[in-house]
Amino acid sequence: MRNLIEAHNRVKDFDWEPSYVEKTNWYPTKYKIPAKTKDPFRHLVRDYLSMEEEKDNRQYGSMEDALARGQASSKAEPRWMEIMKAVLPILNFGEYAAMKSTGQLIETIANAELRQGYLAQMLDEVRHTHQEAYLARYFAKHASDPEGFAQGFRLRGTNLFNRAGRAAFEAFFVGDPIEGALNLQVVAETAYTNPIFVALTEIAASNGDQVTPSVFLSIQSDESRHMANGYSTLAAVVSNPDNLPALQLDFDRAFWRQHAFIDPFVGAVWDYFQSNRTTCYLEKWREWIDADWIGSYIERLAPFGLKVPAGYEAARERVPWLGHTAAMVAYGAWPLQFWRFDPLTAKDMEWFEAKYPGWHGHYGNFWEEYRRRCDPRNGELALSLFPSLPPLCRVCQMPCVFPRIDISTVRIKEFAGKRHAFCSASCELFFDQEPQRYLGYTNYYELFDGYDLADFIVENGLLRADGKTLIAQPWLNQERMWTIDDIRAMRYEIRDPLRNQ
Amino acid sequence: MSTVAQTPRDFNYIKPRKRRLSEYEAVSCYTQPDPNVFDRQGWYLLTAEGRAAWRPESTRLQHPHWFDFRDPSGLWQRYYVKLQAEQERSIERNVEDAAIAGTIHEFDAVWLNEIIGVHYRVWSFFEYGLFRAFSRAQREALSDTLGNALCFEAVDRIRHAQSTVLYLMELEAQIEGFKDHASKDHWLGDPIYQPLRKLVELLMATDDWAEIAFAVNLIIDPIATEVGVSRLIRYHGPAHGDPVTPMIILTTERDRRRNQAWTEELVRMTTAPELSSAESNRKVLGNWVERWTPLANAAAKAFAPVYERLPVRSGSIDEELAVANQAQTKILDGLGLGREGHR
Repeated sequence: MRNLIEAHNRVKDFDWEPSYVEKTNWYPTKYKIPAKTKDPFRHLVRDYLSMEEEKDNRQYGSMEDALARGQASSKAEPRWMEIMKAVLPILNFGEYAAMKSTGQLIETIANAELRQGYLAQMLDEVRHTHQEAYLARYFAKHASDPEGFAQGFRLRGTNLFNRAGRAAFEAFFVGDPIEGALNLQVVAETAYTNPIFVALTEIAASNGDQVTPSVFLSIQSDESRHMANGYSTLAAVVSNPDNLPALQLDFDRAFWRQHAFIDPFVGAVWDYFQSNRTTCYLEKWREWIDADWIGSYIERLAPFGLKVPAGYEAARERVPWLGHTAAMVAYGAWPLQFWRFDPLTAKDMEWFEAKYPGWHGHYGNFWEEYRRRCDPRNGELALSLFPSLPPLCRVCQMPCVFPRIDISTVRIKEFAGKRHAFCSASCELFFDQEPQRYLGYTNYYELFDGYDLADFIVENGLLRADGKTLIAQPWLNQERMWTIDDIRAMRYEIRDPLRNQ
Repeated sequence: MSTVAQTPRDFNYIKPRKRRLSEYEAVSCYTQPDPNVFDRQGWYLLTAEGRAAWRPESTRLQHPHWFDFRDPSGLWQRYYVKLQAEQERSIERNVEDAAIAGTIHEFDAVWLNEIIGVHYRVWSFFEYGLFRAFSRAQREALSDTLGNALCFEAVDRIRHAQSTVLYLMELEAQIEGFKDHASKDHWLGDPIYQPLRKLVELLMATDDWAEIAFAVNLIIDPIATEVGVSRLIRYHGPAHGDPVTPMIILTTERDRRRNQAWTEELVRMTTAPELSSAESNRKVLGNWVERWTPLANAAAKAFAPVYERLPVRSGSIDEELAVANQAQTKILDGLGLGREGHR
């Protein structure tokens, strides 16, 4: 019988201070981390491998066997299945970015206990990357409409929402490694993986998708270890009071960066793509983020000097509207996406009003008008319901329409001879603090300003295999699907709202 | 609806290496974004120092499309974990069986205390250093298929390091009077191991993910690990009553073969005649051969006193080194990188 504690002490005694080379600061950090802390958990590589092998066997085994034979994916509600086309490619980048984040944490954090935790997480993240790509391919093979599943990884780079996801998840590893750990482990994993990988599986299951829960719940069984990594990292950082001023600023930014993408996106996924209706996102947000993450986790760190993130109150106020506004933009701009949409029914709208009192007054008209614009024979695009395409936030890449279009907190300003939009005071503040960090890319509209919508669709590969029908559709009607000719007839020009205002 | 009937049922944006897209390719390819592939807007975030998520200059080798790389083993996480779980189980069972059979008590005393207790234990520090170097290499690699191969190699290395420690704990439990003293002082101060430590510290300080893989898998493992572990320990084990340690080392050699194969593939890919950068890549690789070969030889040569301590030994360290160098030269020759003139 192995003495696990002793084994752990020994495998943690590998580090030494190199003397033949100068220490290189590969990933500069402003934080001072103590060399010894508490173990996040005790796992030897041997135990880890055997545990993960068993989980893989269970998950892939069920996917290959009972679920495939029962044609589980083709029986799921199409409304729900469609949004998985958008979810999987971006979630996948989150995992991939996390693998890179843990690689640089292993390099930077000279603490044997933490390194042990990061090393298992590094391989976990490869696991999740592969699980989610496997799931997307599984759906491409088994779902009733594979278009969008088969090309998601190719199409995500120029997709309005997927690109915002990439911006949020780049923060896992582009920057100070501890700032990355705050984004990844403390915020994204500890606050948001429970709603995404646990609670969302209830929606999947009640909408006939039995496959996603198998994968997501298996992923979540690793996430609890990553949360422990986050907690241990945080505990190590707060143990040195010199770290606190920088920590609070990085934590404020990490929270907002993750919130700015995840809450609107997951809120829209949750509320707008369930057919058999159960809970709403706001209820789960209050349970998992407000009560659990803030109430039972972050607030308990107050004695150590860490405060609830500065943007948290603003976030709490915005959350009831974010998913609806994001959904409105996503549905309205459906030809730019790579999945199909199912317009809300009268029954759906009743549910929204019940769950979000006042919803109808703000969004009801849009949905009435949207329904009318689903049929190409009516000759109108849902996009024409907006006076212009929304500017995109220079920092978080989300459309500047939040919390609601009528009370949008958009702000526009000039910097270095160019106009930039920001979705919120927080994103503007982050830009003001470090503008150079957000100026390394070409804006979406700079690439596509002046494009006819039809040319955008063709150039970005948004057509089905027949070369004329759009992958995206505003409804699930398969008798009258939109073709590139329908779009061309609309003569809709993509215009950069900042240049043409 | 006819469009549905014609639709692709697979990831048709990936060019399969063989006739059909493999599971490995499907789950690995294009999971890393790249502005020159599908992400033309570039990187949304830079570090305070101005660097982006990935940097083309993270290796001196050049290739127009790193995503073309395929690991010949075709391993993805599911099968990598399965393979390593099986290897670890086989180690556990071998050690358990050897303990029950009493084999462990038949180890020669010098072998046990000096070769296993010190030399083999010191090697775990070297493997740990490689784990560190490969963890950073996977972070920087310029495509997913390369990043995954590097990440798996990082895990290989920490597996080797940890399984040595666990093995010695088992020996402690079984053999009265045997104690694992960790041998860190040997690692840090014993002249025998200083060239090896220098070697791994240089790797840990190398700012080129491809160079780390090339140096370790095509130069250092075939020379220093071959002499220091495969020949010195695995080969000599049975003559000292130890059939157990060689079984453990065989699992690391399986990993070595896989890592050698993918690194050879990387060399073939970057020196393919149709590539405009083939010649400059060949020069870079030549420089790496020149840089690392003497260091690998120096590390291996320094094991001479350990070799001398073997109660039953065949040949000399110089002979072992010559054989290892010959075999390693053959690997490079096969890749068109013969190191004549580089020594």
